[in-house]
Amino acid sequence: MAHEASETHGEKAHAHGAGRYFIVWILLLIFTVTTVVTGRIDLGPVNIVLALAIATIKAALVVLFFMHMTEAAGANRLVFVVSIVFVIVMMIGVFGDLWTRNPMTLPTGNPPPAFHTTAE
Amino acid sequence: MSSSDGHAHNPHLAHHFDTIEKQDYAVRLGMWLFLGTEVLLFGGLFLGYTVYRHFYHEAFHEASRHLDLWAGVTNTIVLITSSLTVALAYYEIKRDNAKRAAALLIFTILCALVFLVIKSIEYTHKFQEGALPGAHYHYAEVTAPGANLYYTVYFLATGLHAIHVIVGMSLLIWVLARLLKGHFSSSYYVPLELGGLYWHLVDLVWIFLFPLLYLI
Amino acid sequence: MSQSNQLSQASDDKPVYPAVNYLNADRGVWSWLTTVDHKRIAIMYLVSVLIAFLLGGIFALALRVELLTPGPTIMGANTYNRMFTLHGVVMIFLFMIPAIPGVFGNFCLPLMLGAKDVAFPKLNLLSLYLYWTGATIALGGMIMGGTDTGWTFYAPYSTTTPMTVFPLLLGVFILGFSSILTGLNFIVTIHTLRAPGMGWMRLQLFVWAIYATSIIQVLATPVIGLTVMLVGIEKVGHFGFFDPARGGDPVLMQHMFWFYSHPAVYIMVLPGFGVISDVIAAFARKNVFGYKAVAYSSLGIAFVGFFAWGHHMFVSGQSPVDDGAFAAISMLVGVFTAIKVFNWVATLYRGAVVVGAPLVYICGFLFFTVFGGMTGIAVATVSLDVHWHDTYFVIAHFHFIMVGAVIMAFLAGLHYWFPKMFGRMYHEGWAMVSACLIVLGFMATFIPQFLMGNAGLPRRYYIYPEKYQSLNVASTAGASLLAFGFIIIAIYLIYALARGEIAGANPWRSEGVEWMTTSPPDKHNFHETPVITRDPHSYQQPGEEVEHVVI
Repeated sequence: MAHEASETHGEKAHAHGAGRYFIVWILLLIFTVTTVVTGRIDLGPVNIVLALAIATIKAALVVLFFMHMTEAAGANRLVFVVSIVFVIVMMIGVFGDLWTRNPMTLPTGNPPPAFHTTAE
Repeated sequence: MSSSDGHAHNPHLAHHFDTIEKQDYAVRLGMWLFLGTEVLLFGGLFLGYTVYRHFYHEAFHEASRHLDLWAGVTNTIVLITSSLTVALAYYEIKRDNAKRAAALLIFTILCALVFLVIKSIEYTHKFQEGALPGAHYHYAEVTAPGANLYYTVYFLATGLHAIHVIVGMSLLIWVLARLLKGHFSSSYYVPLELGGLYWHLVDLVWIFLFPLLYLI
Repeated sequence: MSQSNQLSQASDDKPVYPAVNYLNADRGVWSWLTTVDHKRIAIMYLVSVLIAFLLGGIFALALRVELLTPGPTIMGANTYNRMFTLHGVVMIFLFMIPAIPGVFGNFCLPLMLGAKDVAFPKLNLLSLYLYWTGATIALGGMIMGGTDTGWTFYAPYSTTTPMTVFPLLLGVFILGFSSILTGLNFIVTIHTLRAPGMGWMRLQLFVWAIYATSIIQVLATPVIGLTVMLVGIEKVGHFGFFDPARGGDPVLMQHMFWFYSHPAVYIMVLPGFGVISDVIAAFARKNVFGYKAVAYSSLGIAFVGFFAWGHHMFVSGQSPVDDGAFAAISMLVGVFTAIKVFNWVATLYRGAVVVGAPLVYICGFLFFTVFGGMTGIAVATVSLDVHWHDTYFVIAHFHFIMVGAVIMAFLAGLHYWFPKMFGRMYHEGWAMVSACLIVLGFMATFIPQFLMGNAGLPRRYYIYPEKYQSLNVASTAGASLLAFGFIIIAIYLIYALARGEIAGANPWRSEGVEWMTTSPPDKHNFHETPVITRDPHSYQQPGEEVEHVVI
């Protein structure tokens, strides 16, 4: 392909160098270490929240910088966000059911649900 | 862009698109839509995880302690690094550094292989311990009720993920082949970009699977 | 070429059949099988879905014949189970879901956008191949393996039945991919291949409907893909994911199944709504009333349809709290559908209505959509559904929508676009006859089923108490009428393919962009990219009177 294209294209394409990718990588590694270390300390219910929060931050770093979502077209961003939203919708619908079901209909060996329904 | 004036010059422009910009936009949108479908596919499995964790949180907590943590951590680092290298490959090809891009792609593919090797070691270990769920499940070390479902979710989630690693790796090999043949440059690199996007998704899924399965 | 009636002719001009068009541009079976022309792909979809419809109809007739007598009539219990499984799977996965998008979406979408093809023509062909593959595997496997789970293949029955379920699961998986790729293709096409001047608010309503449908296809279908995988793995490996004996939850399977399958019914119905919008505009020869409302309501249905799946699970063991939530949300969908119905009727009102077969289908559609929709609201009411669930009432409700709405829309579209696709007109007299037969036959088939269901007759039962016999006989008689109507359609359409009157570019004098090119269209659709300067479906400028024409 024509060489003269690369200069103009390089200018147009990115204002940043390769450095930002390495910074993101280091951050990801730091977060990984953090989550492994905190995962082995017993913090009770905080463990799950912390693990998910760190995972979300790591995921955001990958999506925004490695996948260039900061520069992506609006439609692409919308697609990705909407797909996540619908996974959450699925979870809400199912959990709404699990939390409020009659205890007899839950799989065995299970503690009773958080809410008690009056229908018994 | 050296060929902004249309069809006659750019061999990559399909006849039904007016400009290469439109075509690139379309191809990227198509890829993001496909990634959206993958999010929903894995989303269903994450739903299964959360449901059974909700029912059997003791078993899940205990069983996660019995996974090979070294394997999980190593694989996480391997995948994160492979994401870096594929992003760098994209960066390099946009600057016409095809050789560097190829080297980075090769590294990425090797990382994928390493991931799969470590995964198979883990799986073999688990089979030997009797953790494969189903008729032959006899993993005595975790006694809390519902432990077999932990392993069901574990094998289903990591298995589906591994299949995607294989698919992603194959995609990257195909992209590498084209790169080595000289198809890509600063004026045409979209397939590499898209292969990279798919690979990042594979990484993303693992970023969530790792803590959910190995840490908590 | 600007958007005007340049190619539509006054009634005394001789209609032209272009000597070279997409049908004969390349010759030979291989050129068809390897085509990337969206129009040829559409025709192949048409043939395929019609074969599927024929098969599904035969299975339905077999069921209806069996139900003529209270005891066994022509088959035993197992065969009956296999028959309704076949009927359901073939009709839903091989016809209802792929048909309107695959046929009219493929054929018309690029034309309506002023484009030369869809965004990814090769992917389009792949969708077709996947459809054929999935259909063959599912159908072949079900027939040879005796699948008897119903199209819903609920665990734990599907995971423990000795009958083969795997081909059905694999077939559905592959068909799902076909559906996803089609949806993906259409979304990208609508975003990137619109002709100059075609802003979003100039899109024809059929395009909006296809857009909403494609969004559902892309978002919902992966979940059924996962569900069939999990059921298949469960059947082979007995991992316990849905097995209560191993700690699993069978209701979870239903949640995952219906998360797709409820939006799937909107995949089936939304394109039908789109067809009706376009055909009503053309047949009322009037600007569409409430264009934006109709356009946005398609998106509304797609969106809200994702939150309503639990209304299939009212008596499955789902909590009453979820029952109530899903019931309330399900009713919301009715709001969007009602918006459409009001706007359609308002478009017809004081229109210069052209009487013809498509109009008969429109009238049938409107009537059946309203009743089907209202009975939908009725079954969405938990306290009522407790009695109606798994009875013929539900069957009648969804057949009112699936057949009464969607198939009427399909037939309306088929007759409306037949001249565009093939350049020839069908015989109007026979078309009217069969349209009336179908509308009447449909009512005779399914109204008795509402009564049966309300009286308590369960579905999927091959024998029943004597007191239901007269209603069953009436329903079967109706089904025979329906079949007869379809046979007549097949005959005159096939005849028209060879010997029909030349239609010309725009026999309906429609304002759709797809009519701005020849009939049949050229292989490349338009000789020059059209420039769009008018609003869609615009028959009158502000202040102009409605114009009566002779078609």
